Amino acid sequence: MADQAGILEVEGLVVRYGTRTAVDGLDLSVERGEIFGLLGPNGAGKTSTLSAIEGLLTPAAGTVKVVGHDAARDPLSVRALIGVQLQASSFQAELTLTEILRLYAGLYGLTLSPDDVAGRLRRSGLQDEATKRYKQTSGGQQQRFSLLVAMLHDPPLLLLDEPTAGLDPQARRQLWSQIERARGEGGSILLTTHSMEEAQSVCDRVAIIDRGQLVALGTPAELVAVHKDDPRVLAAAHGDVTLEDVFIGLTGDEIRD
Amino acid sequence: MRSVTETTLLKPPSVSMALRTLLRADTTVLLRNRQALGLSIVLPVAILFITGSGRRNQILDAGYLIGLSITYGLMAAGLFGYPMAVARDRESGVFQRMRVTPVPMWTVSVSRIVVQLVLSLVMSLVVLGLGGVRHHLTFTVANWLLVLLVSLLGAAVFLSIGQAVVGLTTTSGQVNAFSRVLFAVLLVVGLIGSTGLLGDTFRTVAGWTPVGALSNLYEWATGSATWGSNQTIGLVASLAYVVVFGYIGVRFFRWTVR
Repeated sequence: MADQAGILEVEGLVVRYGTRTAVDGLDLSVERGEIFGLLGPNGAGKTSTLSAIEGLLTPAAGTVKVVGHDAARDPLSVRALIGVQLQASSFQAELTLTEILRLYAGLYGLTLSPDDVAGRLRRSGLQDEATKRYKQTSGGQQQRFSLLVAMLHDPPLLLLDEPTAGLDPQARRQLWSQIERARGEGGSILLTTHSMEEAQSVCDRVAIIDRGQLVALGTPAELVAVHKDDPRVLAAAHGDVTLEDVFIGLTGDEIRD
Repeated sequence: MRSVTETTLLKPPSVSMALRTLLRADTTVLLRNRQALGLSIVLPVAILFITGSGRRNQILDAGYLIGLSITYGLMAAGLFGYPMAVARDRESGVFQRMRVTPVPMWTVSVSRIVVQLVLSLVMSLVVLGLGGVRHHLTFTVANWLLVLLVSLLGAAVFLSIGQAVVGLTTTSGQVNAFSRVLFAVLLVVGLIGSTGLLGDTFRTVAGWTPVGALSNLYEWATGSATWGSNQTIGLVASLAYVVVFGYIGVRFFRWTVR
């Protein structure tokens, strides 16, 4: 039964901060083996949606279920089922990569042998950094390491918050091969990104949200096909309509903070 | 990655496993932080030797001076070491990352506090041992145990104050500034007030401050004084500080500042 349901089911999600509504009745689901892109301008409600999925806040209404577990009622069980890579997070600067891997393995209830640790670091191309302290590694290495920690317990759902932000093309490509490998092994991925090119090329489906509401949902090709004649989209296009044109057309071109 | 049917294997770890893992990591971090270690061990030893010389030695009892030195060590760890580490980890996003793991966040706090308490006990033993040599005193087993007990209370007092500081501030810069001022005030009031140079009223007030309260308790624990009103005041004041500042620290603390 669990195999037929989505890995992630979000129904009627409402998140409020005081009188401000950050997410307003959002519905979406992520299927097994799917790379799902959550797109939206700054302040659209992406982070609040991720926080609700992570069980870090209690929704004003609606439900979030990860493999059937309610994120608000059973947040620890949900967090055991998800791997999270946050853009604005870090690890203890004074610990080595090996020590951090062991720490997070313990926090997910795993015990890693020295061979396990070496193998995982090798698969991420970080074998030479095993005994380096986190603060001594480069930005690209930190990003890859962050993804490695997120995948440490082989979760069925990965949440990636702008995973390739600030990476050079080589590092980005390497990261995507890691993500593709995770998908190839049956995992599902929900990611946020501001790169429409990236979303168009790697996501199976995308949801565009704005002001906390879902404004479009489908495969990148479907969204382009459905909205290519929309005057707002045409006004944003410079030639063939792209996902970015659809995004700008549907969410407006004013700068959000 | 696991398939959906395999996900029953993924469960939050036991609290004991989470705590073991966190304690190992926090101990490693502390041992690599030479500044915090120096502040917690070297400072009280330096104060022990500075206050143990000259006329001050004649004004204040040796047990009181040893207690005063331990108290400053506890103060350094509680007002600088602990809150600065918490503030820095909060700023850099270490806690933000830990919040999305399947362990309750109280285990993260407990682990850090336990590591600080152990450091405080080690520092107390070092200072008491050196204090005995410096002042030519011999302590009984009961003295050692009582000093450790008072040190636990003292560490709780200053960690509570440190927790309140980090709970009421948002950046490590604010914590640093706040702690410096607090440290200076407590240092001066405790040191000068306890000498009686500024009169009995000031001495009485100093007895109610964290430094004065604990120094009086140490004076009793080292066998330099019998239990009296100063020690009763010290115990009551210390417990009150733990409750009040502990409540403030927990009530207003935020794991993220973004």
